Order: sequence, then C-alpha cells, then structure tokens
Amino acid sequence: MVKIRFLAQVDAEKCVGCGKCANVCPTIAIEVQDKKAVVEAKKCLACQNCTGVCPEGAITKVPRSVPMVLGVDYKSVDQDRILEICRNANLHPMQWLCLCTATRVRDGAAAVIKGAKTPEEIALMTGVRAGCAAYCSMMSMRVLKGAGVEFEQQKGHRLYKTMPTLWDVPPELVNKYPGYFLEEDKDVFRKF
Amino acid sequence: MSNQVAPTLTLASLKKAMPGYIRKSVYGPATPTGLPARRVADLPGIVALPVQELFPDVPKAIYIEGDDLAPVRKATEAALKNVNMDKIKPDSSVNILTSQYGFMIMGGFAYKEMVKTIKEVVEQRTGCRNIRLRVATGFRIQEPAEIIEHYELDKLFDGKASPALFIEKGVPIETELGTMYGIAKIYDADFIIHAHHGELRELDMHRMMSRTMKPFSMSYARMETRSIHHMNFGPRSSNLVPRVIYESPFVQSKFTFGIFMAVSPQGIVGIEAGNDLFPIDRRLMLLAFKSYGKIRELYNEIKECVAVMDGTGEPRYMIGGGTTFGNLTEAELDLFDLDAVPVGLGFGLYQPPPTQPKLKVVNPAIRALVMNHFWIGVPQMELATSCPMFLVGREMTKLVDEDCMNNAMLDHVVTAETLDAAVRFAKKVARTENIIAFDGAYGAITCSEPLAEYLIQRAPIANQRVEEVLMPKWLKQRGFDPSEAL
Repeated sequence: MVKIRFLAQVDAEKCVGCGKCANVCPTIAIEVQDKKAVVEAKKCLACQNCTGVCPEGAITKVPRSVPMVLGVDYKSVDQDRILEICRNANLHPMQWLCLCTATRVRDGAAAVIKGAKTPEEIALMTGVRAGCAAYCSMMSMRVLKGAGVEFEQQKGHRLYKTMPTLWDVPPELVNKYPGYFLEEDKDVFRKF
Repeated sequence: MSNQVAPTLTLASLKKAMPGYIRKSVYGPATPTGLPARRVADLPGIVALPVQELFPDVPKAIYIEGDDLAPVRKATEAALKNVNMDKIKPDSSVNILTSQYGFMIMGGFAYKEMVKTIKEVVEQRTGCRNIRLRVATGFRIQEPAEIIEHYELDKLFDGKASPALFIEKGVPIETELGTMYGIAKIYDADFIIHAHHGELRELDMHRMMSRTMKPFSMSYARMETRSIHHMNFGPRSSNLVPRVIYESPFVQSKFTFGIFMAVSPQGIVGIEAGNDLFPIDRRLMLLAFKSYGKIRELYNEIKECVAVMDGTGEPRYMIGGGTTFGNLTEAELDLFDLDAVPVGLGFGLYQPPPTQPKLKVVNPAIRALVMNHFWIGVPQMELATSCPMFLVGREMTKLVDEDCMNNAMLDHVVTAETLDAAVRFAKKVARTENIIAFDGAYGAITCSEPLAEYLIQRAPIANQRVEEVLMPKWLKQRGFDPSEAL
C-alpha cells in the first residue's frame, strides 16, 4: 500500500496559467481553468513534477488532512493471468514497477486485470509515479502491452509511447554488437 | 608487479581531514545555514589518508579542491588543440552540454573552468558567438536552475544558460534499437559539444562500457529513454542504448566533439577531448582500472565500518576518498569484471532473487549509516532497509519525511540530535571504531585512525591483486592487451 500524505496546492495569486504543470503531471490531475492551474485532489500523487517546473514558484506541497491510501491486492486476481501478462512483457512479477513506492510488477498487472487501461490509471490504482514518476512510466507501459491493452499517446509531452526492450533486438544486431552481451543478459533474466 | 605504499605513510604522519565543499540546495536539509552544524572531519580521531601515497604508481592529479584552477584551463586548451571545429561557422548556434554531477566534483569549480575555457576557445577559433549552455540533471528538477545561479553561468553565457529537464518536450531520435527521445532543449542548436567527466559513478550500471556516451541515454534524454536504458535491458546490454543514440544520424549530424575531465580518486588528472568518443572511452577505461580499480579493491578489504554521508548530493554518488559511496556499497563485487552479473536496476537493487551472488543488497561490511548531510532526489530505500540508519537533526528528518522518492523511509530510520550522538550510537550498534566519511574529499579518505591504520596495511595487498590478477582480466575482456595497462 502506498500512502500519499501530501497534495500539490496552487497559489492562485502567483499562478500565471502557463500550463507547464499540467504538461508534466503523471496522472493528469492538473488543468488550467480560467488561466489558473487547478489540481484535482483525488488524482494528485504529490510527485515533484509540478512543483519543480513552475516558473513562478506558485505550487507547493501541503500535508493532506487524511492520507490517500492506494494499492491493489495482487492476490485478489487470477494469478495465472498475472503470470501470463508478465511472460508476454518479459517481466518477472517480483520486479519493481516503481522503486520510489516499492511497488512490484505483479501489483501493476493486477491493476490492469482490474480494469486499468492507461499508465495514468495504473498510477491512480497502485500509487506508482508518486516519486520520480520516471522509471515506473516505462514499466507501466510494458505491463499494458503484455496484457494486450492498447493505449493512446496523450497530446503534448506528458509521456512518449516508446518501449524497445532487450527482447526486441533483432539477431543481426546481436551479432553486430558481441561486446554488449545481449543474448547473455537474456539468459540472466531467463534464469529467474 | 607489486607496488608498496609510500614509506613515509604511517598513522603518525596523517594530517587532519579536509572535507569537500557543500553547495546549498532546496534538496538538502533546511538547517539555519543550509549546511551541517558539524562535519565528520571535525570529530576527534578523524584523519585524512592520502590516496596518492597508498597507490603511488597511479597518475597524479593536476587539480584537487582548493588548488589554483590554472592547470585545468591549460589542460583544456591543450586538449582542444587537436579537436577539429570546422563544422562550427560564425553564424552557427552551439549548445555546450553539461551534467549536474560535474558541478558536484570538488565543488564544481574545475568543471566550470573547463566549460568557460571551451566557450572561449570555440569563440576564438570559429568566430561563433551564439554559444549556449545546457545544464542537464538526474531527477532533481530545480537543480539546474540552482547551478546556473550559483556558478553565475547565465552571466558567463550572456543570458543563454538554460536547464534541460527529463520531463520537458522531447525530440525523437531514430536508432538501431528503435525510437528514443532526447530532451529537445539539448538538441535545439545546429551543433552540440559534449562536456562531461570520467568519474566512475555507478559502475554497477555502466560497467565501464560506452562510459563516455552514457549521458546520451541519461542526462540528455527524456525519462522514457532513461527507463529504456535502466529497466528494459540487462546489466551489461543496457550500455548499448547510449551508444546507438550517440551513433544515430540525428546526433551525429550535430555532434562536434566531446571533452572530459579525466577524474580519479586522486583528483583531476587531465582533460581528454576528441571528435570521436571511442578513443577517449578507451583512455578513460585504462585510467579507471588503474585508479578506481585499486581504491575499490581497497574498499573491498574493509570488513566492518560505519559510513557517514557528509557532502553534496545523494548518498549513492557522494564522494569519499575520491570515489562514490556506491562503490563501497558494492565493493565486495568485482564490477569491472564483465562476467559478474548483478542484476540491473529494473530487477531491484534491494531485494535480489535467491540466485544473486550478493548476500544482501548493501555490502555487509557497512554495519551502520549516519546521514549528517545529503540531498534527496533518487530512490534509495535499500540503504534504509539494509542497515541501521541514523539521521542527524530534525531538519534532516523533515527532509526525509517529505521525500516523495523514498515514500516510507522514516519507518526504517532513527534520528539523533547531533552528529556526535549519531556516530556514538552507530559505533555501538555496529560494534566497530572504523568510520569512513563520504564528505566530498578527493585525494584522501576521511576516516578514523583505526581504519586508517588498517587500510595502510591492506593497500599493498589490494594493489597486488589488481595488478596481477584483476586488471589483466578486465583488459582482456574488453579487447586490450595487458601490456596496455597504464
């Protein structure tokens, strides 16, 4: 379970409505309305993106009166389906989906089984992307692909849909770059 | 070949430790001064163990913190003499690309001097006046702006210094492995100059493979591409990602040259530059084996210690004895050996599967951690869950409590009011008098007298093992002849 104890708060007097915060929010929790950024509290995971990019210093993180608790019990879904998604994605269920929140791939797979159709929805169900919001974006995309769920790339630069992996490298490239242990590293993961 | 420590090196000859410079940041604890109340070097019984005297045969430094910067400038000018700048015309636009870590090496002054010299030489030789600075970062979004302000880089670059962030607009780069995304601001000029350093940093990830190219899939890249590098490939194969980006038609159309501070635990030993990164890669690799190889092996000799974080940056990359704390946390693995396979970031740094060679995630020789001063900005829960951790001061506790990248760290640590109290408790818990500080110092290991005495005895053993057994293997694995060793 991930406890979200903070919330992004916009100082409307300082906000100039540039929209930079909305463009970087991993859960699409921010919209610019009437030239001011507005945060939807139930979607805010209090990562660092909006506070970091705001050129006016208009966003701060404040404690929530009641922490928002997120998480999916992976045991509550079909375990064979979790394994199938993981196999398709070349992931191990115990791999980290999100290092910052200590959430595993199996939790993300469970979220998809329960209906998550986008990386944002996985984040809102599991609490991933509440930290660096970076590495978990890739893992979320791979879990969705492993489950056969197609998702649209959002407009703008919130997330670019690209996910080449070790398993996508064609044999001619493996042969071209012997010093990079491409096949050998696949064996490392196959053992797990 | 065996190499003895300098005969003058005894415990009695050791001087007081001199910690490195700490830069104030919003990512550090908000103490009244922005700095720690006390440094480890101020504690009784703490000394500076000089690295050059432990390993006299490694290349000597031309600069360590506090020295005159003139040698850095001269070395930069000399390195640039052989660089072809014909692509750059008077009406070209050029981005000099820098990474945040260069500004953490010995206070950042040498890196700034190198960058300043690059700009002046390029202007002089090409007539180009539209030279801009891009400051890239890891995950600390506000850090580039802090760097620009702190080092007055906007003034240096006539108002054209700008952060380049991993969450900003990207530019697609087609590579042999598929589409990658660079940060658009990095590439928004006709040409780029790759101004970096050869500091070892995370050897467990780059394995000294394509080291000079790493920023192309990290600092200069969008978060998806960083994830591709760290999460979608294996512990050795991941280093193909930066290479294919560097070699892509898009990057090659803009690339002019690379220039690097050649860094060792001794300090900055020179400046390397060239239009082709591969020869520089090889030279930095040979330097790393000779210098970092030996200090890593010496750290592998440590069987019990309390490690203290007392510098700028996140613990994993904090410098002690001229090398990062990450090299102590994994000292028991020979990470220059390409047959060694710690799993990559995607599998997990802090809960390895049963077949992993590491017994626990963090080197078991680290019996306790004292966090006197550090910055947040990277996931590092493994430190808190692997060994007893003591935070120093309430400001540090508040910082950790609000750190979104280590969501539950406070559940695993305790706080002491002062550094003295924290170290006292840590020594009791760890049952050792061995203290080693990661305080930013190059050229010397800040440590307690018992540990210094022990390391003086063990240095010749570490040296011999590297020279006679390990380095020949590292060289052979990468296609070098052992005679090419420095």
